[in-house]
Amino acid sequence: MELTSTSVREFLGKKTRADLTKVSDDDKLFSSGIIDSFVMIDLLGFLEKHTGARVAPEDLQAIDSVRSILELAASKSKR
Amino acid sequence: MSDSRPQGIVIIGTPRAGTTLLRRILDAHPRIACPPETYLLSAAARFLHEERFAAGLRIGVLSGLAFAGFEEPEVLARLRGLVFGFLDDHARARGKSRWAEKTAFDAFHLPAIERMLSGHVRFVCIQRHGLDVACSLAELVDKTGGYVQELHDYLRRDPEPLVALAHAWVDAAEHVAGLVERDPLALDLRYEDLVRDPEAVVRRVLEHVGEPYDDTLLARALAEPGQLGFGDWKTYGRAAIDGSSVDRWRTLPSPTASRLAEVCNPMLVRLGYEPVEIDQAPSDEDARHRYAMGLRLQQMRAGKSHEQ
Repeated sequence: MELTSTSVREFLGKKTRADLTKVSDDDKLFSSGIIDSFVMIDLLGFLEKHTGARVAPEDLQAIDSVRSILELAASKSKR
Repeated sequence: MSDSRPQGIVIIGTPRAGTTLLRRILDAHPRIACPPETYLLSAAARFLHEERFAAGLRIGVLSGLAFAGFEEPEVLARLRGLVFGFLDDHARARGKSRWAEKTAFDAFHLPAIERMLSGHVRFVCIQRHGLDVACSLAELVDKTGGYVQELHDYLRRDPEPLVALAHAWVDAAEHVAGLVERDPLALDLRYEDLVRDPEAVVRRVLEHVGEPYDDTLLARALAEPGQLGFGDWKTYGRAAIDGSSVDRWRTLPSPTASRLAEVCNPMLVRLGYEPVEIDQAPSDEDARHRYAMGLRLQQMRAGKSHEQ
């Protein structure tokens, strides 16, 4: 199943129990404190499950918004 | 025609399942007095504690008194008299005609309580999603700084606190579900229904105990300070009933939620809840990867070097 902005928001919304409807695709998630490191770790598992590829430590800084999460997922899926 | 069924009301539920909220609502009723937790029933249950060894003889107060000429029905009646006497006097002192009793940890003593009370009270039973109960119990022991005996027994058996608390929920929930199945005077409720539609649930409760509903009851229950005592401290800080605690387990890390689901799912299904999805246990390599990524995230948060 292809990841979308909606599916990422749904996943993060369940994990944080927060209303993410007002968060834009470019808003910072981890560095702003909207999601904590536990949710980030679950997000990595979610991404790895969908892409079938390992997320590397150097990818961490690149996934701080819904848009960057989707871009990373797309790049991992192409490999 | 007056209702000839038992007048005493006993609220039973696993700790953190909404029993204190129900207590406050019933206590706000003009005819019902429900004190803060008295521990009367669990104390009476301990009085009835007995051991059974291979020869089949039950060693405890019931057998001991039977040898002295007091048969079980008489002993149980005297014990009920002691318990009901305190509750009758409390209700009378409050100017009310009926009592209700609620002590959350009674659920762990339910076989003895049922033996003593079945047919003599109306039970109001409430159940809540087991993973939410485990999370809330963990918060409770964190605040109180220790484990009561009923929970400590589980901690001794399992080194993972949340898993131990999940096992505690399963056992207590099983006792409560069994009571509902056996006792025609037991009402079966869900916490999630109570916070989603309080009026509908409270109407069911009052119908069960034979009292009329009035439109101001819920507002009064939350507005009145009520008697101070043992119980869920969180409800005293609430001016409205809301469902913000429902599904709090979803914030657990996935491996933790899966571990708890393995323990709770059969009972969740028995109670009508959806089973929680169980992720495949991570391989050793995956677990090390998650751990390393978690450390890296902590470094990032602390603003430390991101370089190798």
